[in-house]
Amino acid sequence: MIGRLGKRLMPAALTTGSLLAFVAFWQVVSLYTNPDFLPSPGRVWDEAVRLFHTPVGGKDILAHVGYSLRRVLTAYLWAILLGLPLGLCMGWNRTCEKIVSPIFELLRPIPPIAWIPIAILWLGVAEGSKVFICFVGSFVILVLNSYTGMRYVDPLLIDAARSFGASRRQQFFNVAVPACLPSIFAGLQNALSMAWMCVLAAELVGAREGVGFIIIQGMDLNRPPMILVGMILIGIVGSLLAASLRWAERALCPWRRELV
Amino acid sequence: MQTSPDGASSPVSLEVEKTGYLAAAAREHWISVVSLILFLVIWELICRFEIIGPYQLVPPSEILGVFVDKLSEPNPDGALLQQHAWASLSLALAGFGAAVCIGVPLGLLMGWYKPVNLLVRPLFDAVRPIPPIAWIPIAILWLGIGMHAKAFIIFLAAFVPCVINSYTGIRLTNPVLIRVARIYGASNFETFRKIGVPSAIPMVFTGIKLSLNAAWTTLVAAELLAASQGLGYMIQLGRRLARPDIIIVGMLAIGLLGALMSWGLTRIEARFASSRRLS
Repeated sequence: MIGRLGKRLMPAALTTGSLLAFVAFWQVVSLYTNPDFLPSPGRVWDEAVRLFHTPVGGKDILAHVGYSLRRVLTAYLWAILLGLPLGLCMGWNRTCEKIVSPIFELLRPIPPIAWIPIAILWLGVAEGSKVFICFVGSFVILVLNSYTGMRYVDPLLIDAARSFGASRRQQFFNVAVPACLPSIFAGLQNALSMAWMCVLAAELVGAREGVGFIIIQGMDLNRPPMILVGMILIGIVGSLLAASLRWAERALCPWRRELV
Repeated sequence: MQTSPDGASSPVSLEVEKTGYLAAAAREHWISVVSLILFLVIWELICRFEIIGPYQLVPPSEILGVFVDKLSEPNPDGALLQQHAWASLSLALAGFGAAVCIGVPLGLLMGWYKPVNLLVRPLFDAVRPIPPIAWIPIAILWLGIGMHAKAFIIFLAAFVPCVINSYTGIRLTNPVLIRVARIYGASNFETFRKIGVPSAIPMVFTGIKLSLNAAWTTLVAAELLAASQGLGYMIQLGRRLARPDIIIVGMLAIGLLGALMSWGLTRIEARFASSRRLS
């Protein structure tokens, strides 16, 4: 029992230890550099406390995080709603694949961030363009992952279902889709971190709120501590998003537990 | 009883099945061609009937003209398409090259030698969850709006996948192979060089491909924010001037160059892997 508990606590202890080591390293480096160049961890902490009490650009710092999260999650849900069915369909049906893949292959190599200028031209600098960028980023990953997952479903499974008299619909929903869930979940993970990166890029290019705005504001005001607080916040929120998705995966695909 | 051709086994019906398959393949090919043409036609019609105005989208027939013009006409963004492309390419490849040269050996060493891992891990773990794009503002403050800031960000973006994949690759080395080498008296370094590194190569290549992708994406982001040349700068200026033709040409150029670079990398990987198999 203690051994198992120790095994579960070990990674957490290691991460904490390595973070502490990092902060110590940072402290030592900041002692020997210009404080305007690299502020010490203490100064960044003070700045964080200050930012949590005074609004930036008229809004609370947590409200900024909320704005970014809302954009990411809206885009993410749309990408799931449209991307997963499309990818699964492409993997299952040859005709569907042949219709969609040339257009998809044409647009796929363009990084989502390169869509920012045209998205602003189409949808304005407001919410629309930012949600669109995040959507493009996560949509492509979701389609690719569900498509390849579907293509690599063991044909033996489908044949077995067919020989037990399963209808085409049953083969799809009861056999093929559960079989490619691991690949879908990998896609969901990557798509979420991609969306988080895209919202940041979109907010850096032009926004009045959001986490990207905090760091760009820090740059405009020439305040490195503020930028660092923003960066740390971005890292923490990103890790929390990934962790919550891992938790969802464990709840939804319990048969993959040994691999997680 | 089902009478599907799948079950047929006589040579004659096999021949029939083969031509049937070819015909099906040809038909499927046609579907793709038709779908692509339909896509372009719909795009053209949307612009011709001005469902979307000329300040937001231009028809594909004009894109081609703009693309050709851009090869010899520096206006409105001050440089030719190939100059922008070269500026972006050289920057991306510099950052990517440095990341591969440092990241791959570091990842391999971290995976093999515990002290290296303990030394580097904290730095790496703390930096990893922050997307490289979030470094842009502080990099600009540190290094100015020049080449250095962009190269630094691209390096960061490309560095992480290189390290992670090399690390995982060498950690997955079959322990039996390691023990065999030890039994035959190989030193730790020799085992690392002759067993660990070769067995990690496939994972290393996956990491290099991922990092090329990351480098190219991050380059575009960095050029959108701070640049006076490069494809990202070109599309950003296209937005300011409300010139969708310039933006779309730039986007296509970015996509094309990215695809070409990954294709080249896949070729290198294939050659490298096959030469290894021979020796």
